Amino acid sequence: MSLTAGAPRPAEAPRGRYGRAMTALLRGTLRLDVLINKLYPTDYNPLYYTGGLANLFLFVLVLSGIFLFFYYEASLGGAFASVRYITEGVPYGGIIRGIHRYAADGFIVAVLLHLFRNWFTDRYLFSRDNPWISGMFLLAFGGFVGFTGYQLVWDERAQVLTSLFLGMLRSIPWAGEALARAFLGGGGVGDSTLVRVLFLHVAPASVLYVLLWWHYTRVRHPKIWPPAVWVLLCLGLVFLLAGALPATSGPPATPAGQPASFPMDVFFLLPFWLVNWLPAGAVVFLLAVLLVLGFIIPYAGARERPEGMEVRHAGVAQVIDGNCTGCELCYFDCPYNAIVMASSPAPGLSRAAANRTLLAVVLESRCVECGICIGACPFEALELPRFLERDVKQLVAEAVGA
Amino acid sequence: MRSAYALGIVLLSALALLFAVGIVYGEIGDRWFFGGGMIGALLLAYSFIVLFLRKLGIIGPRKAER
Amino acid sequence: MSAFPKVVGFVCDWSVDLTPLLDGGALRDVPGVRIIRVPCSGFIRPSWLEDALSGGADGVFVTGCPYGDCLNREGNYLMRDRIDQLQRRLVRRRTDPARLGMLAHGLHDGDAFLAEVREFVRRLEALAAAPPASAGRPARAAKPAPAEGDPA
Repeated sequence: MSLTAGAPRPAEAPRGRYGRAMTALLRGTLRLDVLINKLYPTDYNPLYYTGGLANLFLFVLVLSGIFLFFYYEASLGGAFASVRYITEGVPYGGIIRGIHRYAADGFIVAVLLHLFRNWFTDRYLFSRDNPWISGMFLLAFGGFVGFTGYQLVWDERAQVLTSLFLGMLRSIPWAGEALARAFLGGGGVGDSTLVRVLFLHVAPASVLYVLLWWHYTRVRHPKIWPPAVWVLLCLGLVFLLAGALPATSGPPATPAGQPASFPMDVFFLLPFWLVNWLPAGAVVFLLAVLLVLGFIIPYAGARERPEGMEVRHAGVAQVIDGNCTGCELCYFDCPYNAIVMASSPAPGLSRAAANRTLLAVVLESRCVECGICIGACPFEALELPRFLERDVKQLVAEAVGA
Repeated sequence: MRSAYALGIVLLSALALLFAVGIVYGEIGDRWFFGGGMIGALLLAYSFIVLFLRKLGIIGPRKAER
Repeated sequence: MSAFPKVVGFVCDWSVDLTPLLDGGALRDVPGVRIIRVPCSGFIRPSWLEDALSGGADGVFVTGCPYGDCLNREGNYLMRDRIDQLQRRLVRRRTDPARLGMLAHGLHDGDAFLAEVREFVRRLEALAAAPPASAGRPARAAKPAPAEGDPA
C-alpha cells in the first residue's frame, strides 16, 4: 500500500461492467441511508438492523407457530377443519394465525433486505464469507419452511402446490421418483403425507436456530434485535394486518378435486408461478442455479475480491510477542472473534513475556485486516504488516510538519 | 418543527387511549379480529410516539453515539 | 501561530467519500486540514492522536462511519470510547479536550462532513486566540510525549 496520505482507491481504476454496476449499487444503497437518516436517526435506522428485524420476525413465527401446533391435526380429514377451528373457534386464534402468516412475509422481506444490503456494501470480504454461506443456507431453509406452511392448511391452494411440488421432485434426475415417494409416504397423497409436511415445516424451522448459531459464531455482539421503535412497529403492523386482513383458507381440498389455480403469494410461491410457463424441471434447475450463484458471490469475479475492488490490503494483524502483556484488550475489542488468549509459554523472549500468563493469538482465517486490535493495544504488541505504527507516525509527522 | 412533534405525540397518545378502549371492547364482545387489530394499531402508535420523543431529544442515543 | 489552525484528520476508508474533497493530502475547502486514511476508525491508537497534538497540530479528529453502520461493526463505537477516555486524560494534563474530535459520516455525507470540520476548526480558532501562556501550551512544552500506559 502506498505510504502517502493519498487514497488507497485510485480514482481512475479500470472497472468492468459488473464492477461498475456493483459500485453503483453500493452508492445507491448508501444514498437510501441518507434518505432514511432524515426520517429516523442513525441509531433507529432499520437498514442497520436488518438481521435483527429478521430475527424478530422469526421469534414471532416460533411463538405463534407453537400455538398453532397445539391445535393442528395432520390428517387429510382433519387438517382443514383444525385450521378452521383455530381461525374461528379459538379466542384470538385467527389473530395468531394471521400473525404467523404476516410475520412470515416480514421475515422474508427482512432476510432479503439483509442479503442485498450486505452484498451491496461489501460486507462479505475476507473472512466474512463464512456468515454469508450460513446466510444462504438460512435463506434456503426459510423459503422451504414458508412453502410447507402453505401446504399444511390443506385447501385447494395446498392441493395445487402439492401436485406441482411432486412434479418438481419427479423432474430431478435419478432421485426424483424416490424423493416423491418419500414425500408422499406411499403411492398417493394420504394422511402420512401431511404428517411429513408438518415435519418438513417444524424441523427446518428448528434447524434455522442451529444455522443462526453458525451465522453468529464469527461475530462479537451480533445485532440480533432491532431498536425498540422497530420492534413496536413490526409487531404492530403484524397484529394490525392480522386483524384487518385476516388470513383465510381457500375452499377445502377434496380427493377428487383438480383445482387449476390459486391466489399467489409473492413471498414464498414464486417458483410455482413460474411453472405456468416453464416445465417443472426447468424451475428446479433455475432455483439450483440461483442458489449456487448466491453461494459464490464472495468468491466469483475479480470485482468480488479485495484487490479487484482496490480495498486496502493491510495484511492480517500480527502479535508482537515481545510486547504482549496478556491484557486481553484486543481480545475484547475484535469484532470478529479473531483473537484468542492462549497460555503464555514460559519464560518468553522479554520482560513482558516473563511476567504474563496469557498471550494474544490472532486466528488469521478470521482476521479481516480492519486494525481495531491495533487501536486497542496499549503496549504496541499488534501491527498490520503493511500499515505499521511507524508508517502512521511518519504520516502524522508529514501532516503536522507541512 | 418541534411543536409539530409535540402535537403529534399528544394526538398519538389520545389515539392510543382510544385503541386501548377498543381492545377492551373487542375482548368484551368476543370480537377477536377487531381486538387484535386494535392491539396492532396501539403498538404502531407507540412506535411513532417513541420516534417523536427521539426527534424532540427527550430520549437520546446511547453515550457512545453522541 | 499561522493563519489558520493546523488540523490532522484521520478518516476511515469506508466512511465519507473523500475523492471529491481532497486536494493531494489536504481538504480543498477547509484550509489547514491534512487527511490521513486508515482502514477503520477503530485502528487508531490514542497515542497517535496525542503525538499529533504534541507534534504541533492545533486539533485532531477521527472520522468513522455512521453509528450502527461501521463496516467492521463496532470500530466507530470503540473509537468514540477511546476518544472520550483520551479527552479525560487531556483535561488532566490541562490540554483543552476540544482539540480532539470524533465524527461519524457515511459515503454521501460530504457536505455534512465539511460543515462539521469547519465547525471544529472554528472552535480551534477560538481556543488558539488565547495568549501563548494559555492552558494548552505550557503543559505540552513541559512534558515530553507521554509513554504508553502513563497513568497521568
